Amino acid sequence: MNAYLITIATLICINAIVACGLNVIVGFAGQISLGHAAFFGIGAYSAALLATKAGLSFWAALPLVVVITALIGLLLGLPSLRVKEDFLAITTIGINFIVEAIFLYIPFFGGALGIGGIPRIMLFGVRLKGLTFFLLCLFFLLLVLAFCWWFSRSWGGLACFALREEESAAASMGISPVRFKLLAFVIGTAMAGLGGALYAHYIRFISATDFSFPVSVLLLSIVVLGGMGTLWGPVVGAVILGALPEVFRPLVDYRFLFYMLLLLLMIRYQPAGLLGEGSMVHRVFSLLLPEGKK
Amino acid sequence: MQLFIEQLLNGVAMGSIYALITLGLALVYGILRILHIAHAAIYTVGAYVGLFLFKLSGSLIIGVAGSMVFCALLGVGIERFVYYPLLKYPPYVPLIGSIAVMLAIEELCRLVAGPQILTFQAVLPFPQFQIGGITVSSTLTAVYCITALVLLLLWYITSKTELGLAMRAVSQDIPIADAMGINSHLIVSLTFAIGSAIAAVAGSLVGIYYNQVYPTMGTVPAYKTLALIVVGGLGSVPGAVVASLLLGVAETLLIGYANIPLPRDALAFIAMIAVLMWRSEGLLGSR
Amino acid sequence: MNSTLLAVKAVSKHFGGLKALDQVTFEIRPREILGLIGPNGAGKTVCFNLISGVYKPTAGEIIFNGERTQGKAPHQIARRGVGRTFQIVKPFATLSVLENVLVARGISRYNHLGKIWSSWKSRAEIRQALEVLDRVGLADLAHRKAALLPLGNLRRLEIARALIVGKRLLLLDESFSGLRHEEILQLEQLIRNIRADGITVLLIEHNMRVAMGLSNRVVVLDHGRKIAEGSPQQIQQNERVIEAYLGRKGHSHAA
Repeated sequence: MNAYLITIATLICINAIVACGLNVIVGFAGQISLGHAAFFGIGAYSAALLATKAGLSFWAALPLVVVITALIGLLLGLPSLRVKEDFLAITTIGINFIVEAIFLYIPFFGGALGIGGIPRIMLFGVRLKGLTFFLLCLFFLLLVLAFCWWFSRSWGGLACFALREEESAAASMGISPVRFKLLAFVIGTAMAGLGGALYAHYIRFISATDFSFPVSVLLLSIVVLGGMGTLWGPVVGAVILGALPEVFRPLVDYRFLFYMLLLLLMIRYQPAGLLGEGSMVHRVFSLLLPEGKK
Repeated sequence: MQLFIEQLLNGVAMGSIYALITLGLALVYGILRILHIAHAAIYTVGAYVGLFLFKLSGSLIIGVAGSMVFCALLGVGIERFVYYPLLKYPPYVPLIGSIAVMLAIEELCRLVAGPQILTFQAVLPFPQFQIGGITVSSTLTAVYCITALVLLLLWYITSKTELGLAMRAVSQDIPIADAMGINSHLIVSLTFAIGSAIAAVAGSLVGIYYNQVYPTMGTVPAYKTLALIVVGGLGSVPGAVVASLLLGVAETLLIGYANIPLPRDALAFIAMIAVLMWRSEGLLGSR
Repeated sequence: MNSTLLAVKAVSKHFGGLKALDQVTFEIRPREILGLIGPNGAGKTVCFNLISGVYKPTAGEIIFNGERTQGKAPHQIARRGVGRTFQIVKPFATLSVLENVLVARGISRYNHLGKIWSSWKSRAEIRQALEVLDRVGLADLAHRKAALLPLGNLRRLEIARALIVGKRLLLLDESFSGLRHEEILQLEQLIRNIRADGITVLLIEHNMRVAMGLSNRVVVLDHGRKIAEGSPQQIQQNERVIEAYLGRKGHSHAA
C-alpha cells in the first residue's frame, strides 16, 4: 500500500512539473496549447534513446534532453505562434497527433512496441526507486517552481503577462510578441522535457500512446483547474486530478465516467480554477483579508 | 483507370461522411465560436440510438428519425448546460468542458452497450448502378443521395428562411441580434438541434456503411473534423464541405497509390498546418 | 534635417478597395504639438497606426528622426522613442496600475535576452514608476487592479505608459474623450508640461476647443485626404474645413 501511494505521488510530481511548463505557456503568456503531451513525449523519447542507444547516464543525458525538447519547441512554436486562439488550439492538437504518429510509425522510435529497458537513475552509487525516486522528482518540482516564481518576477515574465492581457498595447511598449511568446514556449517545453526524462526513467518502458492527445487534455485541465497563471495552481491541479481516480477506484467500472463528470462539474462551476480569480478559495481568502477586496 | 474511378467514388463517399459530421461543428463554430469537440460523441450516440430503434422497430426510417430527435435534444442539452453558461470565459474553458462531455458520453456508451463492436445490418433502399464496367453499390448511392439531400436542406434553411436570417444575425453579434428582437438563445439552440440531427444521420449512415457501431467510433472524427473546419475556414459551412470532400478523396487515393509511412489520420492535420501557413483564413473563409 | 522629427510623405493605406488614407503628407517639428483632426472615418487612427507600425503603408514613406520606419514592427518603433495611447483603451487588465507602468519601464530591456532575467520588483524601479503615476495623478491608485479603474483614469494610465516609452514623440489618440471638464483641464496642463520637457506631441482630438487650444499647428483630414494644414486660427477660417465638418454633420443628422 505504501509503495502504491509513492507511485501515485511520483506520477503526480511528474505531472506537476510538466503542467508547470504548460502554465508558463498558457497561464503566463496566454497562448493556448493542447499539444503539450507531444513535448512531454519528446523529452521521454530522447531520454529513453540516449539511455538505451547511446548509453548515457540520466545525469549526462538530462541537459541534452532539455535542450533537444526546447529546440523542437522553438522549431514548432515558430510557425504555430503566428496563429491565435482557436487556430492555435487546433494547430497544437495537430502537432500532438503528428508527433504521436511519428513515434508510432517510424522504426527508430520503436514503433508500436515503444522503447523498453530504460535503466534506473543512479545517484551516488544508489539505484533510485520508490521513495528515493519520488524525492528526486520532488526536488525537480521544487526547482521548477522556484524558476517559475523567479520568472514571474522578472522583466521577461512581466512582458509575457502584458502580452497575455493586450498584445497590441504590449507591442507599443517595445515587447516583441513573437520573441516573448517563443520564450514562454521554449521554457514551457523545456520543463516538459524534464518531466519526460523523469517519466521515462520511472516507468522504464514507454510507448507513443503515453503521450497522446488525452494526456494534453489532462495537462491543460490540471492547469485550468488549479488556476491559470498562478504559481501553485499546477501543483494543486495535479494533486486533485492525480488523486481522484484513486478515490474513485471502488467504483470500478464507473470510475472513468465519474472522473469525467467531476471534471465537467468543476469546469462548469469553477471555470477560473481553484486558486484563480473569483474562485471559492479566492473568495474565502478575500473575506479573511478585508483589504484584498478593496 | 477503372480502379482509379472506383477509388475516387469511395473517396467521395468518405468525404461526404466527413462533411456530414463536420457540418454541425462548422455551424456551431459559426454561431458561438466554440470548438464543439463533443459533437463527435453525439455522432456516436446517433449510431447507437439509430441501431437500437432499428432493431426495436424493424424500420430504418423510424430508427434514423428517432435518432435525429434524440441527438437534437442531447445537443441542445449540452449547449444549455455546458456552453451557454461558459461563453463569457476564455475559449479554452468551454473547450475543456466539451472534451469532458465527449469522453463522458463515450464512456456512457461503453457502459450501456458494452465495449464490443455491434453490427448494423440494414439494407439501404437505394438502387445500384452499373456504368461502363464500374459498379456503384447501393450503399455508395445512399451516401451520395443522403449527403446531397442534407446539404440541400441545410442550404435552404440557412439562405431561404427567416431562421437562416436570424442565424446569420446571431452569428454576427448576439447583443445586436437581441436588440433587433431576435431570441438569440433560441436560435443558438436550434442551430445545435440542426447540427446534432445531422450528426445522427451521419452516425447511422457510417454504422451501416461499415456495419460497425462501437463506443470510440467518434474519437478519430472528433479531432479530424477540427482540422477540417480550419482548412475550410473556421465557421464557413461551404468551406467545411469542400475540405471534407477533398480530404476524403486525398486519403483514399494516398492509401491506394502512395505508400506513405504516416497513418492517414495524420494527413488532415498536415494539410491543416500547410493551409494555416499558406492561407490562414482557410480555403473559403474570409478574414 | 533637425527641423523635422517625423515626416509622413505621400502615404497611402488601402484596405481592399477602400482608400483609408490617400497620399497624405505632413511633418512634425521637434517640440511642437501637432493636432490631427477630421470627421469620423477621416483616417486619423489609420494614420496613427501607420506611424506606430501597426499597419504597413500601401505607398509612401515615413521618416522618423532621419530613419525610414515604414514597415517596421510596433515594438521596433516603440524602441525608437515613440509612445502611443489607444482610442479604445487597452490596459493590462489583471495587472495593477503600477505593474502597467512597469511594463513600459522595461522597454530598454526587452531587446536583450540577457537583461530580462532580473526582477522588476526593485525599489528603484517602483519609485520611478510611482513618480510617473504621480505626474498623471494616479499615484494613490497604484496598487488597484487596472480593470477596476473608470475610463478617465484608464486614459491617464495610458498616458503614463506612453510617457515612459515616448522619449521623443508622443501619439495621443483621443485621450480627452469621455473625460469630465476638470479632468480635461488637468490633462491639458499635463500635455503642456510634457512639451516643455522637450517631447513632441501628435494628438488626434475630437474636442475642437481642446485641439485648437493645445496645438501649435493643425492638420485636417477628410475621407483619407489632407484638406488643410496651418495654425489653429487659419484652420478655423478655412472654408474646406468648415464644409467638411458641417457637411458631415448634416449627413449624420439625415442618417
